[in-house]
Amino acid sequence: MNDVLAAVLEAIAVLCYVALNAFVLIWLERKIAGHIQRRVGPLRVGGPGGALQSLADGIKLFSKEDFRPGGRDSLVWWLAPLVSMTPAVMVFIAIPFGQHLIVHDMNIGLIFIASISSFGLLGVFMAGWGSNNKYSLLGAMRAGAQLFSYEIPAILSTIGVVLAAGSLSLETIVAKQSAHWFLFPQILGFIVFYIAVLAETNRTPFDLAEAESELVAGYFTEYSGIRWAMFPFAEYGSLFTGCALATTLFLGGWHGPLFLPGWIWFLIKTYILVFIAMWIRWTLPRVRIDQLMDLGWKFLIPLSLVNILGTGAYIALVR
Amino acid sequence: MATTTPGLQSQLMTLNLGPQHPSTHGVLRVVVTLDGEEVVEAQPDIGYLHRNFEKIVEAWALPGVIPFSDRNDYLAAIANEVCVCDAIETLGQVELPDRARWLRVLFAELQRIISHELWYGAFGMDLGAFTPFLYGFRDRESGYLLMEKATGARMLYGFNRVGGLRNDVTDAWLKELEAYLDFLDKEAWPEYMKLLIDNEIFVLRTKGTGVLTQEQAIAWGASGPVLRSTGLSWDLRKKRPYLVYDQLDFAVPTGTHGDNYDRAMVRMLEIKESIKIIRQVMKRLPDGPVLGKARASVRLPTADYYARQESPRGEVGVYLVGNGRPNAYRLKWRAPTFSHLQLVPLLCRGVKVADMIANLGSLDVVMGEVDR
Amino acid sequence: MSLPRTVWNTIKSVVIGHSVTAREIATRPITVFYPEEKPEFPTGSRSVPVLKVNEESGYINCTSCGLCERTCPPGCIDIEQAVDPATNKKKPWPHSYTLDLSHCMVCNLCIEACPFDALEMLDVPELATYQVQDLKFNKEQLLDLWKTGKAIRIAEGQPMPSN
Ligand code: SF4
Ligand code: SF4
Repeated sequence: MNDVLAAVLEAIAVLCYVALNAFVLIWLERKIAGHIQRRVGPLRVGGPGGALQSLADGIKLFSKEDFRPGGRDSLVWWLAPLVSMTPAVMVFIAIPFGQHLIVHDMNIGLIFIASISSFGLLGVFMAGWGSNNKYSLLGAMRAGAQLFSYEIPAILSTIGVVLAAGSLSLETIVAKQSAHWFLFPQILGFIVFYIAVLAETNRTPFDLAEAESELVAGYFTEYSGIRWAMFPFAEYGSLFTGCALATTLFLGGWHGPLFLPGWIWFLIKTYILVFIAMWIRWTLPRVRIDQLMDLGWKFLIPLSLVNILGTGAYIALVR
Repeated sequence: MATTTPGLQSQLMTLNLGPQHPSTHGVLRVVVTLDGEEVVEAQPDIGYLHRNFEKIVEAWALPGVIPFSDRNDYLAAIANEVCVCDAIETLGQVELPDRARWLRVLFAELQRIISHELWYGAFGMDLGAFTPFLYGFRDRESGYLLMEKATGARMLYGFNRVGGLRNDVTDAWLKELEAYLDFLDKEAWPEYMKLLIDNEIFVLRTKGTGVLTQEQAIAWGASGPVLRSTGLSWDLRKKRPYLVYDQLDFAVPTGTHGDNYDRAMVRMLEIKESIKIIRQVMKRLPDGPVLGKARASVRLPTADYYARQESPRGEVGVYLVGNGRPNAYRLKWRAPTFSHLQLVPLLCRGVKVADMIANLGSLDVVMGEVDR
Repeated sequence: MSLPRTVWNTIKSVVIGHSVTAREIATRPITVFYPEEKPEFPTGSRSVPVLKVNEESGYINCTSCGLCERTCPPGCIDIEQAVDPATNKKKPWPHSYTLDLSHCMVCNLCIEACPFDALEMLDVPELATYQVQDLKFNKEQLLDLWKTGKAIRIAEGQPMPSN
């Protein structure tokens, strides 16, 4: 009985955090976009800086008409937002925010995250298929190719970390970094991982699946209201988890030089990575689908293999 | 055609791109046949902005044609006005004061800068970079503010009259213009280059895509930056000098490959050249009236004339036929982007969807002018 | 292009591009909070042509000659001449004078055409309405507008007031 209660409480806590995080990130993105473009971004709702803008948007989206496209594949269409949101939330379970500040420390944490996060592709694909819209279908096809091919460099680049830490448990991986971060010998791995995260979360320059100027809105063209909101929700959730994972694997997780609590260090590093992702989004143009594939298969995968080799050699030499 | 692996059937897909689509530059509809990501055929479908310009102006007295012609290429209104004025003045034998000649060049070049700034932003947007769009718009807005101060209207000026300009400009305004040009030259232009044009992703996306050979360009009646990007130095300001262009010193930027990158580069360099031209005009601007005498009612003789000028998009032409009445017997408008739009099926065969959007963007079509 | 060069160019241009956006983050936004904070409207923006009252006589100058009606390219002026009900003779002033601003392209041609200096171009920056019918002004409304608005009085060939 107690187990069930604990699980429910954990789930609620995770959901609350994910929701809060998505609200903050959406607000942050709009603020950053605004200031990069010499605008001010949201301003009017909720005190200075329009901090409650996302909440107001959420309420608006909740109260919108539930529009359903004709000719849809009902069940698939209806399930798609849920399917794409669930993995984004589930990944939070395995992320160590601080020492012992983790919902579940699994000894296969890394594999858990890798396998769960690839489910997001399913939701995207269902959305594209179920909407009975050609833009959606194209977006889904692109997303399929893209997410599938960037899973590989993402996972390959983490192997170096696993080699160095000798464990798949994320808490152990962070604990092993108390002396020095894994970033140092594995800078290549970090870069590959970060690029792959950008690609997997569909962010410019890899936002082909929802390329606004080509596909209107890609796979979620036909969604509106709260169903639509789940997609950005999932997207920002996985942006955060991607950056959190990069922090965990390469930037020493909760370790920091000053005597701040570990989770603050963790959040600072993660949000810096998130900020960089946003900065990139508002600076670069989009790549084409074949260039994206080339980058993934011909560049990032070899690079991550080089990283594994290098790390292996380093470990063999140092030990 | 659709590739068919044994046991796996694939189908061509017809996609209606537009008329409501984020990147069709107005209300253009392109019927695209797709084989997966690849474009098999793209057919532009025009006419959504048709306003019956050519027929309506046959019923209007000629001075009224000038403000209406603004609506053709609404992103470069002055270029239309100057060209239609040229036709009317030549045919009606109206004297043009010297200062008006120089000022028309000044405004036409300022308009070219403003138009290319908008193109820069829109092209960045087509390639998925949103920020250049707002930078382009920011600077375009300062340009429009200058225009509004001088002409009394922001975008569709109604500023030229038969035989001159409606208003003069002051030295104070020229100072402001000078400051704007300095800003453009020293800050905005390098920023444009750094942010988008020099970016390697941009280069990879545009180099070698949308390639137009010189023969094709000539055969399809391309003009302006689209033609010059193929290496042919054909600029009416040099080849058929009108107004005072023969007294000005400027270069005609050309490309070599005729691809999207060259078209972009030609436009960016043209901004520089326009700045140069405006500086010269400001230095040599003669004094005197800007509006001649006989203008209230101009009657055209029974004759015809074809006026052609270099608008930011290419050769804009006005074929005017008079028959002794105060309105035109016939007015034919040659829109450069109408010809450019016909290149879309040619340029887009076999390319990716993303490149098709880029091709459309680099042709810089304005639907108000295509549909007239 | 060779791979190392592409890689190098990518890194270089991405860094340069980000330096541009970083600089822009640091500069002040140029947003003007429009309804609360008015931007500086350039004076002399043509907004609406209206009938004006002659300051000396106190009446309008218009003689209902119809020249402006004929000059207006889109035909948005509609004049009905006043008629004396007793004698059925036409009077030299308009019974009604309607201007449809939703069609008007604010080209200034009617003002230039009027031989009696009866029209004037106004500079009213905010004229938007919720209904397109509200942009159809009759004589009284035009005169009301003239009383509140700021007229642009510049002879042809002279500079605009704001430059
Ligand atoms: S400004 Fe031009 S369009 Fe408007 S009423 Fe006068 S003549 Fe007609
Ligand atoms: S031209 Fe002048 S006087 Fe004649 S009708 Fe028009 S406003 Fe009245």
